[in-house]
Amino acid sequence: MPIIRLDNLSKRYPLPDNKKASFLAVDSVSLEIDAGEIFGILGPNGAGKTTTLEMLEGLNDIDGGSASIDGIDVQKNPFAVKKLIGVQLQANEYFDNLSLVELLTLFGALYEREIDALALLDKVNLREKASAKPDNLSGGQKQRFSIACALVNEPKVLFLDEPTTGLDPQAKRNLWDLVRELNGAGMTIVLTTHNMEEAEVLCQRIAIMDHGRIIAQGTPAELIQTHAPEPPAAPLHGNLEDVFLALTGHGLRD
Amino acid sequence: MFSKLQTRLTLTFLKIFLRDKQMLFWSLFFPVIFMTVFGFVNDQEQEPINIGLVNNAASTVASDFSRELLQDPLFTVTEGEEEPLREQLVAGEQTMVLVLPEAFDANADNGEIRVLVDAAQVRQLGMIMPILEQKLLAIERSFRGIEPMFSISLEDVQARSQRYLDFLLPGILAFTIMQLAIAGSGFNIVEYRRKGILKRLFVTPIRPRDFIAAIVVARTAIVLIQLIVLIAFAVFILDVSIIGSFAAFFFVVILATFIFLNIGFCLGSIAKTQQAIGAIGNIVIFPQIFLSGVFYPIESMPALVQPLAYVLPLSFVSTGLRDIANEGASLLQIMPSLAGIAVWLLISFVLAARLFVWKEVAS
Repeated sequence: MPIIRLDNLSKRYPLPDNKKASFLAVDSVSLEIDAGEIFGILGPNGAGKTTTLEMLEGLNDIDGGSASIDGIDVQKNPFAVKKLIGVQLQANEYFDNLSLVELLTLFGALYEREIDALALLDKVNLREKASAKPDNLSGGQKQRFSIACALVNEPKVLFLDEPTTGLDPQAKRNLWDLVRELNGAGMTIVLTTHNMEEAEVLCQRIAIMDHGRIIAQGTPAELIQTHAPEPPAAPLHGNLEDVFLALTGHGLRD
Repeated sequence: MFSKLQTRLTLTFLKIFLRDKQMLFWSLFFPVIFMTVFGFVNDQEQEPINIGLVNNAASTVASDFSRELLQDPLFTVTEGEEEPLREQLVAGEQTMVLVLPEAFDANADNGEIRVLVDAAQVRQLGMIMPILEQKLLAIERSFRGIEPMFSISLEDVQARSQRYLDFLLPGILAFTIMQLAIAGSGFNIVEYRRKGILKRLFVTPIRPRDFIAAIVVARTAIVLIQLIVLIAFAVFILDVSIIGSFAAFFFVVILATFIFLNIGFCLGSIAKTQQAIGAIGNIVIFPQIFLSGVFYPIESMPALVQPLAYVLPLSFVSTGLRDIANEGASLLQIMPSLAGIAVWLLISFVLAARLFVWKEVAS
């Protein structure tokens, strides 16, 4: 049962070096994302991943086609959609001088909700940082705090834009666990990533975008089956990340 | 009329602004220093003018004359020989040197006093010469037994003393309101956008009017607190007097804060970077510092710029505040200023509403 539908969604931007001409950053993208799945959008920089998410989140105007979340048209009723979704953006800075608890309470207020900030911090493993300022968090902690902020309205759909970029392997795996946990509780999660391993182990279905179009979609296994070249005769056992983790341990470093 | 959400947002912004201790301190630092410097500089009595006196005559007229000069508080008189005094004049220690000729007595009909001056000090001469002439005339009259036909007596009609600082305070306060309010909305907006905070807020169901209302109310409260500190400093430490009603005074202060917050929102919407808002902000702020009668009355400006100077928002504010503080004017009496403030409030609000497009400002 799809909770998100994209129907020929398009976004047109002027060319950077010629303002009169324009190009399609997102070119007639049609997509259905089922309720309760972790859906990954892959693609090189500039493929249109973030623009697609921003149109769904109401941050960017839709130039062509339409999109709906939980049956609500994104363009016609943006405020109703905003109440349904949780968003973690690539930039994750917040107001100076407010502690994590105060910021979460503020975000709760924006949805006109009374929230239990400490319970949310528990969920993302940050209770001991309750009175810290976001500036004093490590990269992984910041990402987890961003997700906590995105959870204040108990969203049906959670959008994560490159959530593990720049994180060390421990923090990355910790974040994957968090995403799986949220998904296990029934939340639909849409994420963009450059990390192929992340897409493979975390996402139930994947769409690969390039030049504003979806060029392939399916489960990781299906995509590997259809598109991956034959493996070499004697594959290496494990990869460098396995080595790194074996040597430095799985414990979370923050 | 103020929703629960707006109240909570306002309190949050108050918290954010109040915790920015550095900003609070430095925004008060400049006006306090400014008032203190002007308070002391202009508070002193007129410095006595140093003059040298070479008395070559031994007559009673000459000694009367030198006694008259010595008693005059306007002058600090050094008596001595011509040569050393001449050197002091060249060194700038004396403003002028008077040389009384040997034949300076009651019998000489036209005793001539030589005056040695430094051309660089020539501006002071216009002030000194009439006084000298007066003194000589008075001495001459008493010698010849002539009663003066006219006399002038000064009467101060103002009940209180008006110092430059009294004039300056409302101007400094108006200027401070402008600075604090423009920085408080414009610079914050640009900063929040740069950090991606506005984008993050945009994906929540918050309405822009709630966001703006919260910033306006919180920032106005902060500006009021800052002004109260400044006024307390001026009144209790520098002994500046505010004659009119504080209620009327703060009524104008609040309207002024709204105007400059609106202007700040306009600038914050146009400028994309901190550097840009610094530059655009200066274009708005600087001319008003000099043209709005903050430091000296608009009437004393070149006639060419006066029409422009009178219609600047800061002019209406500083004139209104000054009339209340210095003259004890009521709100009714400052209607012309209030009308100008109202017009600017309208203009700035319409402009801010036009320019502050939530989606464009956020992303």
